[in-house]
Amino acid sequence: MEELFAPPAYEWQRLSPKYRSMRLLTTLIFVPILFTIPAIIVGVASGKWWISGVIWAVAAVILIIRLIFVPRNWRSWGYVEREDDLYITHGVMFRNLIAVPYGRMQLVEVESGPLERAYGLASVTLKTASPETGARIPGLTPEEATRLRDRLTELGEAHASGL
Amino acid sequence: MTSSQPPQRTSPADPEVTTTPGISATATAPLKQTERPHPLTPFVRGWLVFVAIAIGYGRELITSSSENQFESGGLTWILPLLGIVVVLAAVAGFVAWYFTRFVIDDEELRVETGAIFKKSTKIPFERLQSVDIIQPLAARMFGLAELRLDAGNSTTKLRYLRRAKASRLRDYLLTRAHGQQASIRDLDQESAASVFTDLGVGDQPLVQVTPQRLIISFLLSTEWLIPAAISIIIVGVTASLGVVPLALGGLIPLLIGMLSLIWRRVIGMFNFTLAESPRGLRITRGLTNLTSQSVPINRVQGVKTSQPLLWRLLGWYRIDIDILGHAQGDSESNESTASSVLLPVASREEVDLALGRVMPGFGLDGIELHPAPNRARWLRWFDFWTLRYGWNDRTLITEQGWFNHERDIVPHAKTQSVNVQQGPLQRRLRLADVHVHTPRGPVNAIAHQLDEHAARELALTQLDRARVARAAERERRSVAAVSDGDHSDEAGLLRAFGAGRDQLLGSGGESEVFALDHDRVLRLYRSRHEAPQRTAAQLQELYESWRGIDIGIELPLIIDTGERGGRFYTVDRRFSGRNFSSWLQDADMAQRRPALVSFLDATEQLQRLPSPVPGFARLIGDGAPQQFGTLSELLATMLQGPLASSRARLEHDVPGIVEVWNRLHGDLAERSISPAVVHGDVCPPNAYISQGTRGPVVTGIGDFSPHTISADPLLDVAGALIFLELEPYADAPADAAWLEAVAVERHGRDIVRWIDVYRRYYGFYFSNAYSFDPALYAWCLRQLSR
Repeated sequence: MEELFAPPAYEWQRLSPKYRSMRLLTTLIFVPILFTIPAIIVGVASGKWWISGVIWAVAAVILIIRLIFVPRNWRSWGYVEREDDLYITHGVMFRNLIAVPYGRMQLVEVESGPLERAYGLASVTLKTASPETGARIPGLTPEEATRLRDRLTELGEAHASGL
Repeated sequence: MTSSQPPQRTSPADPEVTTTPGISATATAPLKQTERPHPLTPFVRGWLVFVAIAIGYGRELITSSSENQFESGGLTWILPLLGIVVVLAAVAGFVAWYFTRFVIDDEELRVETGAIFKKSTKIPFERLQSVDIIQPLAARMFGLAELRLDAGNSTTKLRYLRRAKASRLRDYLLTRAHGQQASIRDLDQESAASVFTDLGVGDQPLVQVTPQRLIISFLLSTEWLIPAAISIIIVGVTASLGVVPLALGGLIPLLIGMLSLIWRRVIGMFNFTLAESPRGLRITRGLTNLTSQSVPINRVQGVKTSQPLLWRLLGWYRIDIDILGHAQGDSESNESTASSVLLPVASREEVDLALGRVMPGFGLDGIELHPAPNRARWLRWFDFWTLRYGWNDRTLITEQGWFNHERDIVPHAKTQSVNVQQGPLQRRLRLADVHVHTPRGPVNAIAHQLDEHAARELALTQLDRARVARAAERERRSVAAVSDGDHSDEAGLLRAFGAGRDQLLGSGGESEVFALDHDRVLRLYRSRHEAPQRTAAQLQELYESWRGIDIGIELPLIIDTGERGGRFYTVDRRFSGRNFSSWLQDADMAQRRPALVSFLDATEQLQRLPSPVPGFARLIGDGAPQQFGTLSELLATMLQGPLASSRARLEHDVPGIVEVWNRLHGDLAERSISPAVVHGDVCPPNAYISQGTRGPVVTGIGDFSPHTISADPLLDVAGALIFLELEPYADAPADAAWLEAVAVERHGRDIVRWIDVYRRYYGFYFSNAYSFDPALYAWCLRQLSR
């Protein structure tokens, strides 16, 4: 049911394609490493290398599933700045739509880790007084992240209301 | 700039010696008295440390003995160590006490701590969120209490103070925190708090939880029954097998958990009282440690009522609330002020009562609750029939749970964000959850397993409702801020005169009048009222010129004028007797009629007052005195001001208004009269009545104003008759007609025409009331349509 998570009368803004590349790369690096280490330890310790083979096989399956899901996950992300609130959606299996009124935003954070920086990406997080809000948009270009931050801060001030 | 030199001890009796140590001691800062907490503080704290160590050590002893590794040699080795620790703790306590100083006075709230690293915390009064009093057992035995100040995310503790002082300071701080002005000296009377309940004198208990009910409710609660049942089963099973010691490993943590539950739910909630204090709701609770906690209602973000299965038999509920900034750490620990419990156990009526206080205007009636669709049973087979949600114009409600039925109530204005979630199974069943986020706390409003379309609609409409509610809240706040601003400097001004708002005698569009003593009143002009100084100066001159002239009634006199905090005020002579308008409300007709005749007499006396300028003239106001050749010119000028703003409105509301206007001018041109002083607003609110020898008599007319002119004396007679119609008591129109007949009898039938003319004049004159007094404007329209 696509329309459950569609924003009313607006088009979703999508994430940068570089975010997909980054997620693919991290999957390609971390999944083999994560499974290779125990596989080698088991193989060396017990000498039964067939167990390591099973672990590697599992790793390969997981890797393929992840590689299929990364693009779908990337496509599932979307955000839209409406008149009074920001909508964020994500998730393929577990789908999520969050709407944060600008008047409720307390903090807008822009973050960029080393890997994200290498890819020229940044993420924007919105904080409200509620710890459950957890409204984070990853995989934005730095320009878009800064623009979004400034825009949201501006809107937040305009709509600000006390608690 | 940090000085480690200890501050001098200041005796409260010696106001000249002031010390302000450490960072705050700047050259320009005014020096003021600071004080230390109670001298017994280090002992109480040392004792607490001792108890803590003893418990910790005792626990060590028990566990080591249970493992059979306890040796008596260990004890002798550890005792001196224990002694050293206690002594060190006492020294630390003494140092901490010695270097703690605080100031709570009319200007500021400041706490200074630290021997080497000085810390000065100054908390603006408006930032205070709650002020709680905590009395640990040790402190309680010495009659001491801790004052805990919550501001933003920081908690400042003042320990320990005498109990009476702590509760006095709490009252003062809460008054200031509500933005009201108060002086700490005003609160010096003892507000004696009882040792057992810590309720102040002004506190009205709303709900009191009796120990029996608390204990029964605890024994029937799910949280208690489950571990209790598990323990019994474990003991039973292992005993029948004869292997009890094997189960100890599992049993001991279970027992510890149960003990801590008893501690929190029974000992901590003992004597739970929800009370209404003059400064908001207050909770007091505790058997050993007594906690008194204020509930800042404007910070309540949501309410949750819950009902464990067995409580349903007794109709009991538990109420928790989300308070902004309160929920750091354990929400129920006895030490913490941040308890989220509003009532640990309450009947349905008590729930309604408490909810009404926490969320004024809230009622469950009229909220349509929607159930989850039947297919939700595949996912929530254990409680799908209890899932409900609903809303009205102010709050959103969600319900769930069978074993422990919970209802979460969130005011729309407090909604933070909205989240729709759908897992893979839910997608298959076309179901979704809607979360309405609130700040940290026990309330979690989640509408579970809605139909997809209902979920989407709920989420989107909730955002709209929240937006509307926020806008309404903002509006309400800005209005409150304006009137608060008006009142805050007013309170200071009133205090300077030794008056209070309770001495308000009356208020009008321009000023408020407060009683000062038997002979004087304080007239406080509204800050937005333009140029009151000039008006007051002109009035003062006018009144002075009438001094010594006896016309048989009292006239006003301005004794003093001044300005303070942006508000202009005058001190006036107080009229004897009672305000005629309020007297009319309660008087019966037999009393009223003679009094009204004396009112007419007093009005007629006014024309004997000499006018300071000859001829037709404006006497008060911009450019006054201003003379005019004819009555018609003067009155046309008087009408210019009001008509400038109301002209368009009148043209809309009165058909043929131009004709009415022209007729008024034609009539006025025909009037030939010698001018006399005209008050311009002779009405019962401006008159005073006293008991005379033959019944109540109007003895004074006050409030001359920019309406005052030198013109046709019949203007006031007409005014006295026709303004009477505006009085709020039921027979006012009948009395006005009757008084008009009296006046006609006195002055002849001729005046009927002129009363009619002046009705139209006053109708035009007060027509600018459309913007501030709809009743007066309606009256104006009636006069103009006659």
